[in-house]
This record gives sequence, structure tokens and C-alpha cells, in this order.
Amino acid sequence: MSTLKINNLSKTYPNGVKALDNVSLELENGMFGLLGPNGAGKSSLMRTLSTLQDADSGTATLDDIDILNDPAELRKVLGYLPQEFGVYPRITAEQLLTHLAILKGITNSKERKELVNYLLDKVNLYEKRNKSIKGFSGGMKQRVGIAQALIGNPKLIIVDEPTAGLDPGERNRFYNLLADVGKEVIVILSTHIVEDVRELCTKMAIMNLGEIVYHGSPQSAIEDLNGKVFQKIVSREQLQNYANDYKVISNKMVGGQPLIHVFSEEHPQNGFEQVAPDLEDVFFSRINTSNVLV
Amino acid sequence: MFKTFFLSELKYTLKQPMVYIFIFILALMEFFATVSDNVQVGGAIGNVYRNSPYTITIHITIFCVFSLLMAVAFFNNAALRDHNNEFNEILFTTPLSKPGYFFGRFFGALLVSTLPLLGVFIGMLLGTYMNSIFGWMDTSRFGDFYLETFINNYVLFILPNMFLAGSVIFAMANKWKSTVISFVGGLVIIVAYIVSGSLMSDVDNETIAGLSDIFGINTYAIETKYFTPAEKNTISPGFSGILFWNRLIWTGIGILILMLSYFNFSFKKKNKKVKKEKVKITNTDTVFKLPKLNPTYNTSTTWIQFKSFFYTNFLSITKSVTFKILFLFCVIILVADLSGGFEYFGLQSYPLTYKLIDSIKGSTNIFTIIILIFFSGELIWRDRDSKINEVVDATAHTSFVSMAAKALSLICITTILNLFFILIGIIYQLLNGFTRIELDVYLLDLFYSNLALYIVFAGIMIMIQVLSSNKYIGYFISILVLLVWEIVLSILDVSTNMLNIGGGGSVFYSDMNGFGSGLKSTLWFNLYWMLISVLSLLIAGALWNRGSNSSLWSRFKTANKEVPKSYRGFIALTFVVWLGVAGFVYYNTQVLNPYRSSDTTEQLMVDFEKKYKKYEDAVHPKVTDAKYFIDIFPNKRDIHVKADIELTNESNQAIDSLHFFNGEGWDTTLNIPNAKPVYKDTTYLYTIYKLTPPLQPGEKLILKLENKYITKGFENGGGSTMIVKNGTFINNGDILPTMGYNESYEISDQNTRKKYGLEPKKRTPELTSELSELHNRNYINNGQSDFINVETVISTIKEQTAIAPGSLIKKWEENGRDYYHYKTDTPSLNFYSFMSADYEVKKRKWNDVDIEVYYDEKHPENVDMMLDAVERSLVYYTENFGPYFHKQCRIIEFPRYASFAQAFPGTMPYSEAIGFIINLEDETGNNVVDAVIAHEMAHQWWAHQVIGANMQGGTMMSESFSEYASLMTLKGITENPMKMREFLKYNHDRYLRGRSGEREKELPLYKVENQGYIHYGKGSVILYALQDYIGEDKVNLAMKNFLEEYRYKKPPYPTSLDFLRHLEPQVPDSLNYVITDWFKEITLYDNRLKEANYKVLDNGKYEVTLEIESSKIKSDSLGNETQTSINDWIDVGFFMDDAEEQLYSQKRMKFNKEKSTIIMQLDSLPAKAAIDPRHILIDRVYKDNIKGISLEE
Repeated sequence: MSTLKINNLSKTYPNGVKALDNVSLELENGMFGLLGPNGAGKSSLMRTLSTLQDADSGTATLDDIDILNDPAELRKVLGYLPQEFGVYPRITAEQLLTHLAILKGITNSKERKELVNYLLDKVNLYEKRNKSIKGFSGGMKQRVGIAQALIGNPKLIIVDEPTAGLDPGERNRFYNLLADVGKEVIVILSTHIVEDVRELCTKMAIMNLGEIVYHGSPQSAIEDLNGKVFQKIVSREQLQNYANDYKVISNKMVGGQPLIHVFSEEHPQNGFEQVAPDLEDVFFSRINTSNVLV
Repeated sequence: MFKTFFLSELKYTLKQPMVYIFIFILALMEFFATVSDNVQVGGAIGNVYRNSPYTITIHITIFCVFSLLMAVAFFNNAALRDHNNEFNEILFTTPLSKPGYFFGRFFGALLVSTLPLLGVFIGMLLGTYMNSIFGWMDTSRFGDFYLETFINNYVLFILPNMFLAGSVIFAMANKWKSTVISFVGGLVIIVAYIVSGSLMSDVDNETIAGLSDIFGINTYAIETKYFTPAEKNTISPGFSGILFWNRLIWTGIGILILMLSYFNFSFKKKNKKVKKEKVKITNTDTVFKLPKLNPTYNTSTTWIQFKSFFYTNFLSITKSVTFKILFLFCVIILVADLSGGFEYFGLQSYPLTYKLIDSIKGSTNIFTIIILIFFSGELIWRDRDSKINEVVDATAHTSFVSMAAKALSLICITTILNLFFILIGIIYQLLNGFTRIELDVYLLDLFYSNLALYIVFAGIMIMIQVLSSNKYIGYFISILVLLVWEIVLSILDVSTNMLNIGGGGSVFYSDMNGFGSGLKSTLWFNLYWMLISVLSLLIAGALWNRGSNSSLWSRFKTANKEVPKSYRGFIALTFVVWLGVAGFVYYNTQVLNPYRSSDTTEQLMVDFEKKYKKYEDAVHPKVTDAKYFIDIFPNKRDIHVKADIELTNESNQAIDSLHFFNGEGWDTTLNIPNAKPVYKDTTYLYTIYKLTPPLQPGEKLILKLENKYITKGFENGGGSTMIVKNGTFINNGDILPTMGYNESYEISDQNTRKKYGLEPKKRTPELTSELSELHNRNYINNGQSDFINVETVISTIKEQTAIAPGSLIKKWEENGRDYYHYKTDTPSLNFYSFMSADYEVKKRKWNDVDIEVYYDEKHPENVDMMLDAVERSLVYYTENFGPYFHKQCRIIEFPRYASFAQAFPGTMPYSEAIGFIINLEDETGNNVVDAVIAHEMAHQWWAHQVIGANMQGGTMMSESFSEYASLMTLKGITENPMKMREFLKYNHDRYLRGRSGEREKELPLYKVENQGYIHYGKGSVILYALQDYIGEDKVNLAMKNFLEEYRYKKPPYPTSLDFLRHLEPQVPDSLNYVITDWFKEITLYDNRLKEANYKVLDNGKYEVTLEIESSKIKSDSLGNETQTSINDWIDVGFFMDDAEEQLYSQKRMKFNKEKSTIIMQLDSLPAKAAIDPRHILIDRVYKDNIKGISLEE
């Protein structure tokens, strides 16, 4: 059982943007979902945990490895899939994975060969192992990225928006794969797709503007909202009035008309009907009204 | 529509900074080329104005090549901009006119691409103007401004060149829509250019070379090769001759390409060919299971990681298109270069390994450097460009391992390339039937020079890329460091190789002496630079931008925090080792073997002149006898000399002080009886001794000299080539100090003298007929001595033979060394050499004379022919000029550090580069190897028996006479007189080219001021013509009479006037004019055969009518020419064949008007007619002297 402890991590970019604002988290084995809108600081946090970026202050440790001061040690137990995963042109999937396996300390060539074949098979690319990756589709490339993140015996796997560009079938395959390994190691999965987290993660955090606005299990977050979310189909012209009068968590189009969800301790009447909250409501309520709720 | 696109193209490009940057760069380069001697474009300028039409044109033509790359950018952009911006689908669906779009874009780009070259005009005008204000350079070096030059250059060079290049690039861009391929188009043009250039090296192919040159650079060079300075200063390139035709042809080809491309061009997108993917059904039932993994991180992991990094980097280079293009390009250039062979005056030299090494370096080094620069950037930025950097960076490897692997893959790629070139070289050798392939020399040379260079550059450029914030800044800095740094150093006058990246003593392989004296220096400097390379890599490893982009400063902080102790220790250790090596190199190159930069040397020469010129007229005794005791230590490269020099006061006044100017680098001790040193200048090595009592006229004294040259450590450069392991070649002038002020140390360049405020210096004292003090000095010894006896005891190691002038009296062994005792058989000039090497000797006896060739065991091929040549010379010269007074003729091979042959009394050192390695297997008649031997043999009479006074015309009696004598020996064995024309062509060319590059002034032959093109080139042509006109025996008689009057005589020495005095009686009155025209003035002929027609007569004979124009041109010393009336005898003749080998019915006729018609009856019908068919007169354009004969209509 490994433990990742993050204490008061802060980072401000030279242009003044606060990417991480006093972030503290403690994680154990299992899938951990990191939710947040674009620009919330998810990637900054993950890069920092992947030793690719400095923090201004704070600490981060994985068991007894001090991530910020001893990055070399952490790299030995890290699997990382960045948000943007590219590949070398003119190199085959097998060559790339072999190269990365070597970099991850798989020095026994027999082991390496078996491992690469295993992973290629897992991501359904075995047949194409001798093809130049340059000709791969976006999804295929992403699968190579996933395969490489699993190389070695990582204790910490960080995947940044891994399912972008995957079709539903591929996405399922990937989650199965993650779930397989996720039992024994810490997997941090960053995404802005709420669905993913609900399906996969036992623990989660929501980030906004560099801060952790929620940390807990998806289920308890939903339970917190039980009986407090109401919906109504409104006309476009009235939308602004509702926004002034209610705490609107979200609005989306249904059949060409806005369907709004509002948060309220009591039933707001006025044509609203109560709905069972889902994680999306949690997400939107946290990032829109965090100042009130936390 | 055309207008719209034309203007929009202009507007678009003119808004981009690129065109202005290019203009600025070219203007800047031209500005410096105009106002500074340190920056040269296309060679030195000399006597020609710095802003002359010729200079501008040469600069423009050269910059045209540079700007080709700029043209690629403009034309490629014009063709592909819409495509690259993916705007094409929008644009091409609008109702556009195709010609408007196509030509509008093209001509817009054409106009823009000519703009950068206007920078050359700007730079030149600005330079001229600024110089007139600031006076950096003497304003007399600038001439008038000709608007015509600019306009003609634009129309003749800039516009057509850009048009042609543009049409090719535009066509390629439209066809393939790939920037890389467009750049290939640019490269193809350059290749074609280089091939045309190599054709030009053979004089015969001039018209072809001139027409085939796509840029017209060679064409212009051919058109102006015989231009005099005056012509270069005034004549702009014009619309005539081959240049005009060349421009017409290539513009036509450009139009053709453009039209083809136009008809091929379509707005529709071509359907891309889709490669059908092979559907392979594989039923693999393999079950994959996750193996049990043991990730380990230890030293062996690091090693495996290194290998993997290396492999992926290496692969990415070899698979890249750019690499393939550059590789192919190198091979093409190398093969093109080799296909010309190794020409030497119409002969081929054997394809020796070192020749191939030189070829390989010459044609490919620049490209391997480009590969290094380009791929250092590619490799460093590859991860980031492919967006895989975060994955790789997050794995557990040390950055240094990755850096080192990148460096190694760069080094391996370039090395493998080099090995491939070596393979090409070997194949070339084998194809030529040459089997002495020295694989070790190939590989060692690679190891010593190029490999070291690759290692150094790879490390440094990787560091530059790592420290740069993007790839292009990295490239910019790399180029700056590699190219500009050298220029900066030369401007700052810093010449230490410790600052010149990758610099050091160079290796220069010689068959005799191997890699030579520079090897030690090279190895140490290599180590020094390689350590810098390692340090650079270590620093790059520490400051590698791992993870997200961060500034250099923050990377520095991170490194400070994260770099482990062991790594720091390693950096420190490397640094300490480097410091040690640097110290050692510094000690050797600066302390043990100090050297001077060129500016310091110049200043020193100036000071020397200012300080000691006052002693110029000090009377000193003459050397009248010399005895040497010389010990040569080839392996240590030391020489110990003891000498007893007899000095005699041959003046008519008492001498009370002796002035000596010692040789630099020598440890000299002088022991003079009754003398005390009263003045010693250790900077200039100038010492003055006081003699008490003074040396009275006629009195002698013995100067005991001890002189040692000790080689210490190694030098900044290649080191001295005087005393080497095998092939020591040292002159007595190197050993003996000069007596008195030595004028030859003065700066001779007039412009430099002016810069330092020195009086203009006469190149040579003026020719005078009344005797003066000057007649007492010959031009070799300059009054230090006359004809003397020399005796030498010389020793060397057992493996070698030591040679000194004269007969070998005794040879013995002592202390494991061989001693030789030589003595001259007749008083000789005090001008000889001492040599030692491992020689084979081949001897032959001719009458009482021993003919000997001392040669390296690797070069036996031509030795017999050399003996023949010596013998032939002895026969002709003794018969025609007089006896030979030495008892031996020795030809002695020396290493190729210089490529000349030289005549000393009875001995003739001959460079391995010129005689011994020329392939003479198929040569039957005369050849240049024979000619050189005959020339040096002739010097045994002309220089060593009689030598001119040190004044104008002096070298005519040695160099011109020897060249003439050499031609005569060749003529003796030549059956077909036309073969001599082929031989003389080089002399004609040498003269006409030489006068075109004259830096001061051309003089008539009898006043030649030691100018090679006059005393060799013109002198031989004139004397050859003279013997043809008045008879060989008459010329020889005049020479013999002259020789007999002065042979081995004490001063006064003869002048050219004395020879003319002997010549005049031999010249019939009808030909008296040739003495004036050929010897005393500068005369050129302009003969042309305008028409040559024949008709068949009733008697079966042929009547040929020739329309001939002939005129005579007199030139002044600057090349200003005036036409004078002709009244001369000139040959008219015919050739039976087109190859002009069978001369037929030649007649000498008098021409006294500009246009003549000649009618002759001939028995047979010749193919061609000619005026001056054997080309014995000097004619700038000889081609128009010959014409095919056609039937009269």
C-alpha cells in the first residue's frame, strides 16, 4: 500500500497565474479522479507530481520519496501519460515501447520483449507493431501512450485526459486496463468528463482556479446534494432573470430550450421539479458556488 | 488579374522582414569587402579599384549563389503559401484566372528575389562614400562610378539568375508541394554549377564551360581572364560574346521550364495515391502474459539506456529526408570532383591516398558540418517537436546519458559518412588500376582530423542547442560560433588555436614524412578540444530542459539543487584534466614556441625598417669560403651546425663594424676574432660587433659560427617543415646570419606601406647601363658573397642519407651515425641546401658526370625518365651553351610541403608532389616532368654560371633562359611541331593571366622585376618565337657568347642589356623590330582570320583565299592599350585535319596593313586555315586565328 501526500503545494507562473494554490491531498492505492474545468490547474498538479515542473512551495511525497527534491527516485516508479502525447516519426510502435521500456529500467531483453508484446496486445495494437506510428490515427497513438504508461512496475500512474480522441469501445478497453492495474497502485486520472470519474473512481477531487474545491468519494458528494437540486425548462429570454434569482448550477439545451439546474436548500416552487443529483451537478455546483458551499 | 496577384505578392513579401534582412546582410558583407582588406569576396583585389566594374561584377556573381537560398524561400512561399495555409480550397473555388494567378505570383516573387542583391550595390556605394569621409583606405584605390555597371549587372546576372533558379523552384514547388523538395531544387542548381566549374579547369573546354555555367560566373571569368587592370577598372560586363549567349540560353531554358510548369498547373487537387494496405490475416493465438518484471537501475541500466537512446537518435537521422538529400549531394560532388582526376599541366597524377583524402575533405567537409549543425538542433528538439518529451523526461534516466547518446549518434553518422567516402575513394583508386591503397592512412587521417572535429562540434553544438530557447536561435548561434567567430578572431588578430574552435596544428600527409611535424600538436589540441566537448555535454546534461519550458536561470537553479554530487565531481574532474591539458598546450604553444600574430609581425617589420634602415649602406665583408659541420637529428627534429666562414673585405675601405641579423628560432653563437659585441637587440636579433683593428681592404677573417635549431614541444600551428623526421631540407640561408641590414624583411605591399607611413618601395632597383654599386651584387646573394668553395661534413641517422653540395669525398660511421664529407668541385654561388631522408638512389654515368636520383621507395615510377631528362639536358646544354663544371647532377625528392623544384649547384631538390607522382606511363613525347627537370638543369648554366645583377631584368637571364632551354630540349624530342603549341599554351596562359592580376605594374621583359608571369610565361614564349624567327642556333650563339663573357666572373654582374648587346648581331635587320617589340616594350598581337574560302582550279589544284585582320597593340604598365600599325612577319598555314595536328604548307608573310587578302594555291585541300598556326605570338584571343575552309560560292 502506497501513500501519496501533497501538502500546501503552490505554484505561480511568471505571468501571474496561480496554477496551484495551497493544494493538499492524500491518496492511497486505487483510482483517483481529478475533475476540473480547463485551466483549473489539473495539468500543473500532474506535471508537478510527474517531476516535470517545480513548485514554489509545499511538499509532495510518495511513501518515503520526496518528489520535489528527489525526482530521480520517483521517476523509477512512475507511469505518466501527458495530455498531449506525440510520437517520434519514422519509428514503429514496438521500437518506441522497447525504447521506453529500457528507459524504465527493464533491462532484461527477454522480459522486455514479453512485456512489450503483452502491452501491445492489451491495447490491441499487436498486429500493427511493425508499422510506423506516424500513420496511426489519434486513437491508436493514444493507445500507444497508454501502453507506455503501464510499463514497469509503477507505483504511481498519472494519466492526463487519457480518453480524449478514443471511441467508446476503446475507452472501455482503456478503463478496464486501468481498473486492472489500479487495484494495486495509485492511479491519478485527470479529466473534465464527469462520467469517467463516476464509473471508475472511488475517490476524487475537484479543482478550480488552482484550488481543491472538493475532496472525497463521488458517492458522498452526490449524497450531499440529495434533495437540493431542482430543474426547469425555461425560455432563452428568461435565462438571465433566473440566473439573478437562483443559484443556477448548470444549463443545457434540451430539445432546443434551456434546461436549468438550480441548487436550493428548499423547494423553489415556481415550476421547478426536484431531480436526483448526479456527479455533474456536484461538479458544476462546486466550481460555480464553491465560495458558498465550502 | 495578373496585376492583382503581382502586387499582392509584392505587398505580402515586402511586409515580411525577410527581404530586408537579406538586403541588410548582403549590404553589410559588401560594405566590409569594400572598405577592408580582411574581408575578401572571390579573392584579393590588388591593383584593381575596390569599386571597379570588375570587382562589383565578381561580387555580384558570387553573391548570386548565396542568394539562391533566399530565392528558394521567396519562390517556394509564392507557390505554396495558399497551400500551406490551407487557403487553397477557398481560393481555388473562386473564379480566378489561371495565368493571372500563376504568373502574377511568379513575377512578384522574381522581383522580390532580386532585391537582396541590390544590397550589394548599396554596400558598395556606402562603402565608397564612407571611405571618402573616414579614409579607412587610401582613396586612390577607388575609381569612378559607372551606372552602366549596375544596370548591366542587374540585367545580365541578377535578373536571369533569379529567373532561372526561380522557374525551377517554382515548378518544383507547384509539382510536389513540399518545401524540402524545393530546397532540393536549389541544391540541384548548385550541383550543376559545380560540375560546370570543374570542366573549366581544362583550358580546352572553355566555350563549353562558359556556355554551360548556369550563373554565368565562370563565363564572366573566362571573358575577363586576360583583362588588364585598366580594363577591369573601366569595362562593365556587356551584351556580347559567350556571356551574352550564355544568358540567352539559360533564360530560354528558364522560360521553357516555367511554361511546362504552367501547363502542368491546375487548381484541382490531385488525388493522392493511396497505398493499398496489405490485408494480412493472421490468426495468432499467442497468449500474451505479463512477465514478472524486475526494473533495475544500476550502471548496466545506464549503459543499456545509452545504447537505446543512441539507436533511436541514429535511426531518426538516417531516416530523415534532409539527411538523405545531404548525403546524396556529398556523393555527387565527390564523384564529380573525382571524375576530373588529378590534373597537372595536362597530365594525371597517380590517385595517391593523400590526394583522395584531400578531395574528400575538399568536397564533403562543408556538408558534414552542415549535417552536424542541422541534426544537433533536430536531436535536441526532437522530443519536444514530437511532443513525447514529457514521457521521456519522466523516465528514470540521467540527462547526460541522453546528451551523450545524441552526441555519439551525430559523431557516428558523420564518421560513417566519412568511411563511405573513403570507400568511394578506394573504389576510385582501384578503377584507375592503382593498388597502393593505404587504408591506414585513410583511417588515421580520419581519426586525427575529421573525427576530432566531429566530436568537438557535436559536443559544443549540443550545448548551444540545450542553452538556446528554441531551435532556430540555436542554429543561429551555432553558425555564429562556427563561422563568424573565426572572422572575429582574425579581426582581433588573435591566432592562438586555443580559441579557434576545433583548431590546432594540422596534419598534412606526405608519402615521405607521414603525417608530419604537426601531428603532436594536433593530438594535444584534439584532446584539449575534446575535453571542452565533454564539458559542454556535461553542462548540457545538467541544464537540460527537462519537463516544462523554463528559463535558463530557473534551469540553473534546478540544476544547482538536483545535480548529484558524483556528477558535480565528474564535471570538476573533467575541468581539472582540461585545465591541465590547457596548461600544457599553453606552455608548448605560447611559452616554448611563441609566435606572432600577423599584425604584430607587420608592426615588427615596420619597426625593423624604421630602426635599422640607416645601416643599409654599411659596408660589410663578403663570404669567400665556407666549411660546415652539420649534425642532423631527424627524430628529435634538431640540427647542430658549426661553420667556419671566411669573410673577406673586398671593398676599398676599412671595415670597423660587423652587423648581423640572426635567423629566428636559432640558438646562435658567433665567434669573431678581434671583435666585441657592442650592440645587441634581442627582439630583432640584430647585433653589431666592433672590430679592433678594423678589417683592411683585402684582409680576411674567419667567423666561427655555432648554430642550433632545437625543436621543443609542439607549436600552435603545424610547426616547421625544415627539419622533419624524413625529408629534412634546409638552405644555407636558414643557417647563416645575414650581414647588415636585410632589405628583404621590409614590407613590400605598397598599400600596407602607406598604412604605416613608410615611403613607397621600389620592387627592384632600376635597370641602368652605366656601372654602379648595384652591379656588384647578384640578385641571389645581394652582395653578401660571389662564387665560393663549400666543404661540408654532415651526419645523420643510419637509416637516412645526408646530402650537401659537391662530390662525396668520404663516408664513414661514428657513434652509430653516418658521416658524409662533401666538397664542391668548382666555385659556386653561396646558395645551396642540406638534405637528409631515407632515400633510394638510382645512378647513371654520362661522360664524367654522375646523374643521380634520390627518391622515396614509394615513388620509383618516373626515376628512369628523370635520368633520361637529365641526360638529354646535359647533351643539349653542353653542346649549345658550354661545359658543365660540376661532377654530379642530383635530383633529390623532398616532402610535399612545397611543390616546386629548385636548382642549387649540382643538386636539384624536387618536390614529391610534382614529379614523382605524375603518371607518365602513356607519355611518349614531352611532358611537364621532363620540362621541370630540363628547366632546373638549365639553371646550372643560367643562374649558376652566369647570374644577373640585382636590378630589373635580372631574372630574364636565369628564369626565361632556363624555360627557353627546357623548351628546346623538348622540341628536340618532339616530332610534331603542333605538340609544342600544346605545351606553349600554358606559358601563354600564364603570362596573360598573370598580367591580368598584376598588383603594381607590368614591365617589358628586359626590365622584369622578378615577376613570374613575365620571366617564365612571357620570357619563354618570346625566346621560343625568337628562335623560330632568327634560328635556334642564332639564339643559342647569342646566349653562349653572353655566357662566355661572364661565366663564373667576379662582379660587376651582367644585366639584360648585356645580353641584348650579344643578341643584336644575331638578328637580321629585317627582324630588328622584334627586339624592341618583344623585349623592350609590351606588345600583343590581335590576329584574326575572318574568311577562308577555296575553289578548285582547272589544273586540279585548290585556290584558297584568306581574309586576315592583323594589328599590333602596345600596352603601358597598367594595361592601357593603344593600337599601332603593323609591319610584321607572321606565319600563315593550314591544317589537314580538324584536330589541327597535321600542319600543311606554312609560310611566313609580311603583314603591313590591317586587312589583307591572301590567295594561295595548294595541292591538297586542307580542313582549316590559320594565321600564326603554331601560336608563337602573344595574342589575347587565339581562337579567332583559325577557321575551317569552305567552298567559295
